[in-house]
Parts: sequence; structure tokens; C-alpha cells
Amino acid sequence: MAKTVDIHAPDVEVKKSCCYFCHQNCGVLAYVKDGDVIKIEGDPSHLTNQGGLCCRGNIALLHLNHPARINHPLRRVGAKGENKWEKVPWDQAVAEIAERLCAIKAESGAEAVATAGGTLRTDDWARRRFMNLFGSPNSFHNALLCWIPTFMVETAVSGWSPFETDLGESRCVILWGFNPGASTMPGMRGYSDLQKAGLKLIVVDPRFSETAAHADLWLPLRPGSDTALALAMIHVIIYEGLANQEFCRDWCIGFDELTEHVAQYSPEWASELTWLDPDLIRQAAHMYAKNTPGNIQWGCTADQLGKTSGAGMHARAVLRAITGNLDCPGGDLMPGPSHYYITDEELEANEWLPEEQKAKQIGADKFKLTSWPGYQRIADVARETWGKAPTAEWFCEAHGPSVFKAILTGDPYQVRAMIVSATNPVNSYGDAKMTLEALKQCEFLVVCEYWMTPAALYADYVMPIAGALERPVIHNNYGVTDHLIASQRAIQPKFERRCDYDFWRDLALACGQDAEQWPWETLEEAFWYVVYPIASMGYQFESYDDFVEKYRFFYPPMHYYKYGANGFSTPSRRVELKSSILEELGYPALPTWIGPPENETDDPEVAQEYPLVLTTGGGFMPYHHSEQFNITSVRFLRHEPYFTINPLKAAELGISDGDWCWIETRRGRIRQRANVEPSVDPRVVFAQRGWWYPELGPKAPDPYGCLRSNVNVLSSVDDEHCDPIGGSWANRGLLCKVYKVGHRDQVDTQFSIPGSSAQPGVTVPPSEQRLAYEPIPFEPAPGFEVPEGLAWDASTRMAWDVERGLAYDPGSGWLYHPETLVYYDVVTRYAYDPDRECLVDEETGVRYHLETREPLGDDAEGGERL
Amino acid sequence: MSHAMHANKLTKHYWVWPIAWYLFLGGLGGGILFVAGVLEVVYHVGHVLALGTFVGVALLGIGSFLLIFELGQPKVFLRVFLSGTAIIKYGATMLVLAMLFGFVFFLFYLPPNWNLFYYGWTWMRDLSAVAMLVLGLGIMVYTGVLLSTMKSKPFWNTPLLPVLFTVSALSTATALLGVLAGQWPTAEYAEALAQKASQFIGSPYASLEQVEEVVHMLHLADSMLVLVEVVVLLIYVLGMRAAGNVTAKAVALEWVSGSKAVFFWVGMVCLGTLLPFFLYLAGGGAAAWAAPLLVLGGGLLLRFMVVYSDRRCAIPGEERYYRRLPQGDEKFFRPWKAPY
Amino acid sequence: MTRYAMVMDQRRCIGCQSCTVACRTWNELPMDIIYNPVVTEGVLGVFPHVHQTFTPLICMHCDNPPCTICCPCKASQQDPDGIVWVDETKCMGCKVCVNSCPYGARDVNAAEGFVRKCTFCKDRVRDGEQPYCVATCHQKARVFGDLDDPQSDVSKLVNSLQANRIFTELGTDPQVYYLPDLGGVK
Repeated sequence: MAKTVDIHAPDVEVKKSCCYFCHQNCGVLAYVKDGDVIKIEGDPSHLTNQGGLCCRGNIALLHLNHPARINHPLRRVGAKGENKWEKVPWDQAVAEIAERLCAIKAESGAEAVATAGGTLRTDDWARRRFMNLFGSPNSFHNALLCWIPTFMVETAVSGWSPFETDLGESRCVILWGFNPGASTMPGMRGYSDLQKAGLKLIVVDPRFSETAAHADLWLPLRPGSDTALALAMIHVIIYEGLANQEFCRDWCIGFDELTEHVAQYSPEWASELTWLDPDLIRQAAHMYAKNTPGNIQWGCTADQLGKTSGAGMHARAVLRAITGNLDCPGGDLMPGPSHYYITDEELEANEWLPEEQKAKQIGADKFKLTSWPGYQRIADVARETWGKAPTAEWFCEAHGPSVFKAILTGDPYQVRAMIVSATNPVNSYGDAKMTLEALKQCEFLVVCEYWMTPAALYADYVMPIAGALERPVIHNNYGVTDHLIASQRAIQPKFERRCDYDFWRDLALACGQDAEQWPWETLEEAFWYVVYPIASMGYQFESYDDFVEKYRFFYPPMHYYKYGANGFSTPSRRVELKSSILEELGYPALPTWIGPPENETDDPEVAQEYPLVLTTGGGFMPYHHSEQFNITSVRFLRHEPYFTINPLKAAELGISDGDWCWIETRRGRIRQRANVEPSVDPRVVFAQRGWWYPELGPKAPDPYGCLRSNVNVLSSVDDEHCDPIGGSWANRGLLCKVYKVGHRDQVDTQFSIPGSSAQPGVTVPPSEQRLAYEPIPFEPAPGFEVPEGLAWDASTRMAWDVERGLAYDPGSGWLYHPETLVYYDVVTRYAYDPDRECLVDEETGVRYHLETREPLGDDAEGGERL
Repeated sequence: MSHAMHANKLTKHYWVWPIAWYLFLGGLGGGILFVAGVLEVVYHVGHVLALGTFVGVALLGIGSFLLIFELGQPKVFLRVFLSGTAIIKYGATMLVLAMLFGFVFFLFYLPPNWNLFYYGWTWMRDLSAVAMLVLGLGIMVYTGVLLSTMKSKPFWNTPLLPVLFTVSALSTATALLGVLAGQWPTAEYAEALAQKASQFIGSPYASLEQVEEVVHMLHLADSMLVLVEVVVLLIYVLGMRAAGNVTAKAVALEWVSGSKAVFFWVGMVCLGTLLPFFLYLAGGGAAAWAAPLLVLGGGLLLRFMVVYSDRRCAIPGEERYYRRLPQGDEKFFRPWKAPY
Repeated sequence: MTRYAMVMDQRRCIGCQSCTVACRTWNELPMDIIYNPVVTEGVLGVFPHVHQTFTPLICMHCDNPPCTICCPCKASQQDPDGIVWVDETKCMGCKVCVNSCPYGARDVNAAEGFVRKCTFCKDRVRDGEQPYCVATCHQKARVFGDLDDPQSDVSKLVNSLQANRIFTELGTDPQVYYLPDLGGVK
């Protein structure tokens, strides 16, 4: 209807912008009048979304003009967390930040400065460029939970991650821990279309998700047991003769060892671990192996299983290979880096980071594949093959949680400054309570943000960043694919907002880096540099904007069987089912079963206390990670967190639909409301991720309600829980218990840091990983002083007078009876009489003065004396 | 923003207390005009009911005001007369006409110095009486029909509702008329006036005997009406309780054994109908004052109960959807103005 | 002649509620007004044999709309192409039409006072575009078009075996059709 605006008016310009609220970067047409966007809609001609936009995409205008957006650089004036700020001009803020960073570098070395990122919401090659020139190896993202370890393991095995599913020709696709129905709408449309045309859809998901609802075969496995399922599928495919013998013979090495190795992983073996019927596993293996070409679509689950992740990635890489689905029509394509435009890696200036600094990367000694040791090895092989390497940002990073621990413990060295860009770490990184404390303790914190988040609250400077419509965007899968989708800026950033590129460039120059090293003054100039070589393909364009308007998409000519000429990009030029790179780094060369961080088999005593299996981290509409919680039009749809529990289990626990419940693991507890429905196994609960409550304000102990419903309070980032190969920590398959929220229950802020790099958790050889697990007791301490004579009860988080059944209210300093809510004096145990404002000994009926606790004299008649 | 928010379209009452009062007052006022019209046409005792007629007109006026007050845009209420053929429009038209004729009728019983029709025109009074009869009946029925035509509201969508509302309108009207009959002009005053005025307006003022006779007739009629009312009410509600429509049944269950059961059994069945019946039989002060008041209270309660029983049939999934939407008082609405 | 109708393909709908938000932003609706709720029935069944149905709701633009005849002001009206809409310059907010709709498709915002409802984005439709909820649906679960055109997609789907409608027993003759998902794992 567009009542208030006319998008067809002659002075309205249409800009080919894109959505920036998840990785799809759906095309958006922005109607611009007088330098402001008046309306947006999905771009019907965009290949990705074909006019579609989800809840997030449709609120771009609300996001652009939201009254809570940070529009000017803010400098802290009060104490940390006090939420007192003053506006400072952009240049001044940047200069002050640079001065401080340089001082820290001079005192403690460049590695004392770290940067944290979130998911792809930035042009982080620029951040890497800054960090490389600055000399610190400690930049990190939430990359370890999102595809990066998978990419690295698969690249180690196959030479490049075969992540591009050639669905048009495919006959079967496994959506493994992937729910495009709630996270990747354009993808879901494709699956729905192709399924109609005959594509078989296998969905691996413990929950009856939006996608599982449409599956041909649904495998509702125990959360966290994916690796066992993958190994059993390999077993079936090999031992039932379903493997592509020719491909295995000609292009794989280690097939015989693999055959021998997976003999132990029968479907019957996996059945106990996965709770799946062995025949169902066989059926899945048959469906996948017989319907070739086929695909395995990566899902975030792969990277969120903790210490079992790496083996699972390896197993899936093997599955793709032994069925001959690599780089064939309809199979899993391996694009390799782009030859036709400048890749992110080429913009990063990795060669300027000194070797001795690389060695200081936090976590590189523990999780080697996704940090310098493994990346260097993979990059060297890739350069031999293509002359180009995968991006280092994302794919070669410090271990985020270890950096947060380093801030708190000074181990392996003190990290003193951190720049947080496009992330809300308390909600998106594991062990939220520890992360929050690290942000509080960080000596110098800069946050680049749209909003005041829990992280921004503790910052020294908050920098206003340009949003979706205010920036040009290149979409090229973290710079490791060969195609590119380009979008233009609809309008220049409002107020003093800037693109993160501008921030890093300005900061670099203020830190004294050479302007020649930052030759592109604007992001468009940098992107012009990126796309310019495409002109050699016969494309004609004058500028980046011109490229967007004329072409927007760049898809190079399709080549299948690229390995035919030079083999795969591995040290042996073959698919290394038995991976030499993993072996060199000290990991099992063949996919080897390691149980998830917590499970009934390895930790029966834990499972007794925490009998339910928690899975979380899955996307759900309308939010993306911890975003959009402050946009009312979105929040409206789901304004409270819900966890899903099976009706049978709920009945057993006395939980009804809508009840507020605590979900507790050994690390802590959070509260969400119960969504009672049979979409999960009675042994499983599914909790929503990302929850915080921007409306609650910056009040301690959990500013913006960032701990009370945040699933990352429950997750563990202890070294021995993380995947030794890639460093992933677990969101899925944790052991938990669930119970109803009671009166006066308090937010949980206790945490501990077991295992650090001084005594690293990974102390045994990878081959003996299964022994590396040590249960860490979680016994929360009281957050207040427990008065004499009272007993602290960790399960209720309260102090009790056990004898009388009275609870202690630390806020008032009184005891109270949980049912009658009558207050009692903490010293004398006399009841408080609110009518007469005195104390009464309930046994004798004698009254006492409220303050002095002296008897109130002769009062036998019940007179009114006080 | 927040005060207006109520996103649950299943539990939201689009019509609230002003409409309940409107339906009550409309039925009562319409009933009074109807009964007064009948008594005048058949027994020529309109003079006993002069005050009642005026009160009936006033009640219709108050009801109309409440209807306007309840509109989303009260300032433009005249739009109701612009065009269209809707039931509510017929109702509004009848209300206006009924008030007009009722007022004309009343004017014939003002003291001579004030009586604009001092000079005769009795045909106009007779016409008014007939119009009151017709329009009053129309209004009584209309208040029920307005609700009963709503296909979307299973508990309303039954022909029994207009019957119930009509009977209730009659019983409340009869009750109020019984109280007001002969109160003004008082018999003495009327007789004194009659000496002077009868030759002009051709109709005698009330005598004490007449008043007593009319009041007796009204009491007798009302005692019958409340009996009919309780029967219709029970058939209506218990019939809905046994209905095949789940929503109608759910609402009826609330009446019979749920949150509204006390109001239904004690308020409406016992105090609103059965007790007045016996009080009327008892006669005396109980019949003169207590019974009519109880009947009026019962009638008002009926309108409230019915208006708030406006549940719509839920489409599968709707209930949970709306239950989980925010209700408007949530904190997250406050920090910044919607729609952000 | 033209007779607009919409088909909701419940086999494709994934309950993402994008249409709900899209409609709100495109039509600049107050916060408590929802033209496009997507309700979910389920998950029902016994794990792992379960199913659920997503039902996008919208004004049904009935052939026999109860909401137009009850309007005393002729504000609530139906155009010849079937689109039912409210002329807010004529509406006085009596809410008879709101109460009369069995689908809950109408609502009033207290601050505005007039009745609001989906118009099938008639301004867009008459410009030859799709209603915004149709355009914005990633899943293409909504099909909009002219029933009087036998070649249109809606004609084909509406006349297919599966097309269902809601509350047809009320005689409203709704013109939004549903293609139900058979449910469960196929």
C-alpha cells in the first residue's frame, strides 16, 4: 500500500542493495529519495532470493532508523558498566584508541591486543590487514562454531572443501544438522522445488524441525552423536559394497586402512550411541550411496559438537569421497579460490606478520588445524595448486575462549586490549559467565556496534557502525569460492556511522601504518580493486557501482572434475582418506570415534545428576544469533525464550506448556519457558539460543538480561571439551536437567576456568582422546555472605535454615518461609509481625522489639503496647 | 502504545461495557415504549405511564450515547446515517424515531401550561402510541438480532438470543414501569389537573384506582415474564452446553460450571428471575420495589454476560499463536516507540 | 472480469512468519495489528511419528463477506474484483464488521479508531504486482492471481483435488484456498 511514500515518483532512485542480517545477503531494492531510503523490498531479479525477504530482511528500514542505534563514537566517562558516555568526534576517538593501542604494544607486545568478531557482518580482511601490520596474531571470530573447522578438515582431506552442492543434477541430499527452514530461507526454497522434481531429502536432526518435516528420511539422533552416525554410514557403504570402487581406487589413498578401521563402527555399534535403529542407519546409507550423484549439505551442527566435531567432519569428508560425489555433476563441488578477482586472502597482507608473532597465536598450540600451524600447511599446498590460498581471517585464528581466559588469567600471557567488532560475545561465545567477566576485566575495550550490548556496556569506546543499507557488500563465501555477488550502498551512512573498513583504515593510519599500505580510501575503491580483474572476462564496467548495476553477479564458467588434470590439492594429490596433514599435526589420520563432551556412556555419574540431553545453537526465526532482539516488530513474534521438551518427560517433571523452567548443566543454569510438544525425544531438550533482553537495561549482575536465558551459560569451553583439531566447543549434546522456576530464584553468575594452557586440557595423544575427559564438578558458591547457622544449598542456590525450612533472602537479610512467605529474624528466628511491627516468638507467643530484640514487656492480654 | 495493545484476537473483546449497557438500556427503553404503547392502545391508560415513557426515552438516549461513546471514532457517529442497509443502521433509525415518538407522547401529559399540545391533536398521541408499540418491539428484537446474526460468534449465533433478549427486555420494562406507574403525575395532582384540562386533551388523568389496577396488571405480567425468561434462559444456555460447536459449548460451560457460573446460577437464575417471581406473588413492598430491582439487575447482568461471551471459533493453531504473542504490557515495548 | 484469490501452499510453508513482518513494514501497520498471522497446529503425534501444519491466515476476501453487509456506513465494501476493504474516511469504528468476521481478519487500533484489514495490497495488485506477502515469501508458498483466468496458477491450484478452505460451513465462500501438507515424514 505504501501509504506515506510513492516509490514510483520520478525523483526516487532504486539502489541494488542487499540484506545484511545473515549470510545469504538477499537482494534488496532500496528506494532512495533525497539521500534517504523511503522503502525497501526484495529484489525479484536477485538469484538468491527472487524477491523473497524474511522477517529480518523486511525490517531493514527499522534497523536503519532505530532510535536505539549508536550514531556517534562514545567515550566512557563513568566507571566500566556504568553506562555513562560522552560523544567524541570520530577522528578524535580513533586517535585516542590508536594512542592507547600503541602504548600497550610498546609495553607488552602487539599480541596483547586481540580482536573479536562474530559472524560474517563485516569486511574482516581489513581487520586482518590491520592486525597483520600491527603485528598481532590474536584475532578471532565465532568461526570455530560455523563451518571453518569443517572447511579446514575437508580441505586437509580433499584439497578444498566440497561445499558447493550442485543440486540441479543431484538425486539425494543429506541436510546434516541443518535447518534451512528456519535459517536459510532461499536454500529451503531450492530444496522444496527440487524435492518436487525427485530429489531425496535426508535430514539429520534430533528435533522435528521445519526442514525435518519435509524430509524423505528423518534421522532423529541423540544430539552430539553425529560422528557415530557418519562412521556407521561409512561402515555400511564400504561393507555392503556401495562405495564407488573406481574413484576409491584411482583417486583416494588410505581406502584399505579405512576399511579395516571402520570395521568396528557397525550400525549396531552406532545404534546405542545415536539412539537410531540400525536399520534406519542402513536405510540412510543406502539412500545416499545408491542415489548418486548426491550431496551432504554442511550444517552448523558439524562445528558445534565439541571434542567429537573434528572426527565427524573427517567422516563426512570420507563419505563424500567414497561415494564418488566429489566435483562431479550433481555432486559436491570444490570451487577453489577465484582466479578472476582478488581474493580476501590477497587483501590481508599475511606476509607482513612476522613468524615469531604467528607463533604467539593463542590456542595455536592446542587447536592446530584452524590456527597458524595447520593453516600454513594447507595454504602452502593450495598455493602449489592454484597459486592462491584460503582466507586467513576466519580460517587461521586465535582460539576465542582461550583469549577470554587469557584476559582473566594472564595465561599464556596477559591480553590487555580487545577490539570487539560485530559481535555480542556474551551471547555468542561459549561459557557466557566467563566471557562477561573477561569483558569486564579487559583493560582496554573498544566495541564497534549498532547497539548498546552487554559488551559495549563495558567498553572504553563504542564506535558507530554502518548497517545494511549504508554499505556496499561483496558476497563470496568468506573468500574461498570462485563466484561473487555484489551489492551497492543505498545511501551514505547516517550520522557518524562508518563501515568497519573505514574504522580499520582510520585506526591503521592513526597507529602510524603507511597510507600506501591502505591505498583504498573507501570501501567502493577497495571493491573496485577486487572486481576489476573480472573485466578480463569481457565484462565492461566503469566502477564498482557500475559493476553492481550492470552485472551484480559473477559466476565463472563451470568446470567439473578439476582434479583430472593435477589431482587434488593435497600433499599426495589424492583424496587422503587417511589424512597426512592431520597426522602431521598429531591427530588421528583416520576418523576415530570420540564421544561428545558429556554423554551417558562415558560419564554415567554425570548423566545420573543431569539425565537430559540438551541441544541448542540452532537458528530459529525471527532472530539471527543474538540480533534483532531489540527490534519490536521482530521481537513481537517471539518475545520470550522457549525450550522444547517432550510431553512425556514434561508430565514426569510436572512441567506444563508455558512454565518458566531452569535448564541446568554442570556450568550453570538459565531459565526459559517450556514448549511442550513431541518434536524431540523424551530424553532431549532443545533450547533457543541468543537470548538477551535489551529492554532490561544495564543493571548488574547480568546487564541487559544477558545471562538469565542465554544458552551459552550452559556450554563449556574447557580445553578438554573442545575439538582438539579445530577448537570447536559444544552447543549440542550437553547433559542437563530441567526443573520449574521457584520463588525468588536468582540469576546465575558463578563460573570457573578449569584447564588452561599452562596445564592444557589436551594432555594425552589424540589416539587416546577418549581418556582425556575428566568431569569438572560444578558447585556454585553463594553470591552473598551466608549468615551463621544457615546452610548453603547449591541446587536451589539459596541459604537455608534446614531445621525450620526457612530460606534466606540476601536482599533484605531476613529469613522467610517459602510457602507462607512469613519473614523471620535471622538471629532469633522470631517471626515478623507486619501489623504490629514487632517480632513474635511463634512457640511462646512473646513479642520482641524489632530493633533491640528485647521482650516488649507484659503483653499477655494482647494489648497494643509497643 | 501499550495501553491499547491487546494482540490476542481470540480473547479480545471488541465490544465491552458500553455495549452491554447499550443493549440493556435499549431493550429496557424499547420495552417500556412497547408496553406503554400497548397499554395506551388497548386500555387507554397511557397517563398512568407518562413518567415511565419519559424515563424510557431517556434510557434510550443514554444507551445511544454509550453506543456513540464506544465507537472508535465517536466524532463522526453521524456516518451511521449516510448510507447502507445494515442491522445496526436499522437499530439506530428505530432508536431515533422511538425517542421522538415517545417524547411526543410524553408531552401530552405535561401540566397544561407546559403542554404544547394544549389545543388537542389527540390523533398525534394515538399515532405516537402505535409508533411506540411498533418501534419498541423492533428495538427489543433488534438488540438480540444484532448479536445473533454474527456467524463468527457461535454463542451468539442462535435465534434464541433475540427471543431471550426480547423477553428480558419486556420483563425489565414491565418491572420498571411497575415502579414508575402513577408516580408522576400523582393521582391527586392528576385529578386536580383533570378538572381543568380534560376538555382540552380529551383524556382523563389517572385515578388512584387506575394506578393500582395498572400496577397490579404489570406485576402480574412481570411475574409471568420472569418465568418465561428463566425458561428461555435455561433452554438457551443448557442448549449451548449440549451444542455440537466446541466454542459455543466451551462458553456455555463457563456459564454453567466455569468462571461465570456464580453470576449465572445465583445472579441470573435465582436473584434475577426466580426470586422476583416469588416476591411478586408475595405482593406488598417486595413486589413494588424489591422484585423490579432484582429483575432489572438480572437483565443488566444478562447483557454483560452475553456481550463478554463473544469468543470466536479458533482456527487450529490460533490459540497457541495468540497465547504466546505479547499482550502489550511487556517491558520490551517501552524503551522506544513502536514500530521500531 | 477479474476475481482475485490466493492459494496457501501448506506443503511449502515453513512457518517463518516473514509475511507477518513484511506486511507490517510494507503497510506501516500499528504494532497490535496483524493482517498475516501464521499459526501452527502441532507438533502433534508421538515422537518420532509426528507432524505439524502451518496455516498462514489472512482476510479470505469472501464471495459472501459477512463484514460488508453489516457495515452501517458502507465503509466496509467489496470491489468487483473481489477485494474487500475498508474506506477509513467512512468508517466510524462501530466494530460490527470486526465481530462479524469468522476469521479474525479485522482489527481496530485504539489510537486510530477505524477498522483495518488486509486489502490484498490492492494498490500493488492494480499496478500489476503481487501482494507484498506473496512477493516476500521465500518459499513461494503463496500463489496469488485471477480465478477468472483459467490459465492462472491459482485457477489450476484452486481447481485441484486438494484445495481446502476454512469455515466454508458458514456460507462465507472464502476465496483463500489451502493446499494441506499431508504431514509427517514422507
